[in-house]
Amino acid sequence: MSAEFEDVLLYAERPEWADVTPLPQYQGVDALAPINYSAEYQDATDYFRGIVKAGEKSPRVLALTWNIINMNPAHYSAWQYRYKTLLAMGADLEAELRLMDDFAVTNMKTYQVWHHRRLLLTALRSPAAAAAELAFTARVLAGDAKNYHTWSYRQWLLVHFNDDDEGGLWAGERAWVEELLEKDVRNNSAWHHRFLVVWASGVRRGDEDREAVGRTESAFAKDKIALAPNNPSAWNYLRGVLEHTKTPFATLTSFVELYIVSDAAEAPEVVDLDNPAPTEGAQLPCVHALEFLADVYEQEGGEQVAKAVEIWKSLANEHDTMRKKYWEYRIRDGLQGARA
Amino acid sequence: MSDLPSLPRLNRNGHAKLAQLCLSGLPFSQVEVDSSRYTSNNIFGGTIAHRVNRLAVVFYCLGTLDLLGVLESKVPEAARPRWREWFWEQQTYGKYGTGFRPGPYMTPEHNEADPNHGEYDVPHLIMTYTALLSLAILRDDFSKLDRPGILHFVRSCQQEDGSFSALPNGGEADLRTTYCAIVICSLLDDWSGMDLERAITYIQRCSSHEGGYGQTPDGEALGGTTYCALASLKLAPATTTSHWETRITPAERARTIRWLAANQLSSGGFCGRTNKVADACYCFWCGASLDMLGAGDVVDRTALATFMSQCQFKFGGIAKAPGERADPYHTYLSLAALAVFQPPDADESWQLPQLDPLWNATLDTARWAREHIPARRSPS
Repeated sequence: MSAEFEDVLLYAERPEWADVTPLPQYQGVDALAPINYSAEYQDATDYFRGIVKAGEKSPRVLALTWNIINMNPAHYSAWQYRYKTLLAMGADLEAELRLMDDFAVTNMKTYQVWHHRRLLLTALRSPAAAAAELAFTARVLAGDAKNYHTWSYRQWLLVHFNDDDEGGLWAGERAWVEELLEKDVRNNSAWHHRFLVVWASGVRRGDEDREAVGRTESAFAKDKIALAPNNPSAWNYLRGVLEHTKTPFATLTSFVELYIVSDAAEAPEVVDLDNPAPTEGAQLPCVHALEFLADVYEQEGGEQVAKAVEIWKSLANEHDTMRKKYWEYRIRDGLQGARA
Repeated sequence: MSDLPSLPRLNRNGHAKLAQLCLSGLPFSQVEVDSSRYTSNNIFGGTIAHRVNRLAVVFYCLGTLDLLGVLESKVPEAARPRWREWFWEQQTYGKYGTGFRPGPYMTPEHNEADPNHGEYDVPHLIMTYTALLSLAILRDDFSKLDRPGILHFVRSCQQEDGSFSALPNGGEADLRTTYCAIVICSLLDDWSGMDLERAITYIQRCSSHEGGYGQTPDGEALGGTTYCALASLKLAPATTTSHWETRITPAERARTIRWLAANQLSSGGFCGRTNKVADACYCFWCGASLDMLGAGDVVDRTALATFMSQCQFKFGGIAKAPGERADPYHTYLSLAALAVFQPPDADESWQLPQLDPLWNATLDTARWAREHIPARRSPS
């Protein structure tokens, strides 16, 4: 943090700012929802309006905008002007990133913090800088694993630079996501990210055999489901993989059947690596498995729909009563589809 | 659901009082709290903190009074001209066209002679949407609306990928801003301000494997932006190549309904993402989305109202979750959710007017907007 941030002197009291004409804010008619600004904020923004009007782009503008965004991280004009000033001065943009590191962690829920970094990285056009940013976002996510802005920024970095070389930006993503899921298997942001990395962003280096990738990913999801059967994130991923690869849900029937029993002791003694059994003590039957099996029957159509309806009824009346309305809707919809 | 305890009353007076209090003036410290608390879910789950965003606060407050049916008594006709005038003061003109800014925070005093915005006092897309709806709530006649200028502004915000940026010269471009652009064109009933096909392609790219839509094409499914996507696809008029029924395939629709329904948790409230906790604002974003998909039936209305009743703050207003502090954003969206999903067998305190889920306005306000915002077409 630089000295001017701790300085309590108003800009109006500083001789080195005497050449700037401060411009008070226009208040307008009978301001609706007026905001009672602090004296410091009012003073700094008066000088900022003066600077913008004069068009000055200099080191002291960086100090002024830094002061304003510290008081109000969402002041997008201050961010915008700061960025233009950095470019006009030919400033060291990587130094700007480092200056902003702590600030970003403290204000990680402010959009502008991440937009600023995005602009800097776009201007830098450096994969090495992007790699440093991946490391930075990983540190931020270690503190708040579900922060939407941080994830968005990381996803933007990967797609924008699209560096799929050996050891490139994409290279470490899958292993990193696995680490996050080791820590919290219910981290939906991590599951979503995995889907982006493996499926939604094209074919990664080494992933050219899509059938093999499909098998690996399906096995990965099944292992995680075995660990925590009532985790919707893992089931959504599994469904996503099947839909993306156009694999019929029915291919997983023997797996899901292990999860619809009410007593885990019924699991077979021989370990079947393709069909991992639920972990001991898991709450069974698993709602997501019942839902999945009903979807299998519905897809098969014809007389199988009756079996789906039986499952939906059991979900509505016994296993997932809080979503009774949804299961009733599925029954109506399923029967209508069967008649059509 | 007959085993549920009967609902306490909806504290209408308390909620109206919070709206009035916020309209009458925000102390600085309050706004500090607001800007940090709202940043993750400010209008559509995005971020423009209220420090610079008076207009959004005003919209939530006016919307709250409108839903509670007390606008006539709390903002009498005699007081309205100055309110309207404040909004019109935020309409700025310039090389990017015409639109509304979040407040005069970048406007210097004695600038009345120069209404042209500079590069740093440009209109804001989300604010323009918010201002048009607020003015409709205030029953403005829109004679001051620069319609060609607004369409020019919307056009200058459209990006190569079809999305719209918040500002014509920068800012975020995502589903929230794209939704606002679509609503603006729909309010004006004039689509010359955008390349509609490109916008639709962008929205479709935001669909995630879970069934919801992310904020941007690679983002995780999120309640607020799913609402933005669906409302946009529904508001956009049919073109030669697409219409609502073809913009979402039956399989996608089923997947989206499944994901939305799964977001209603045992508390009765909705979460905005898989494996997150319930938040009152997502009751609107997810609930209204289900309604648009013709699947409003899957919402458990009684459980939803029970959750809302627990989110009521004892001094008025509705909080994002039980035990939290109330704020205008969650108060408005909770009431909007209740307007779409009236609890059955509840007492009269829970009765709210019908809501247009696409524009997010009461039917009366939407009717007013439809009658006054589009350009008058000369009879031919």
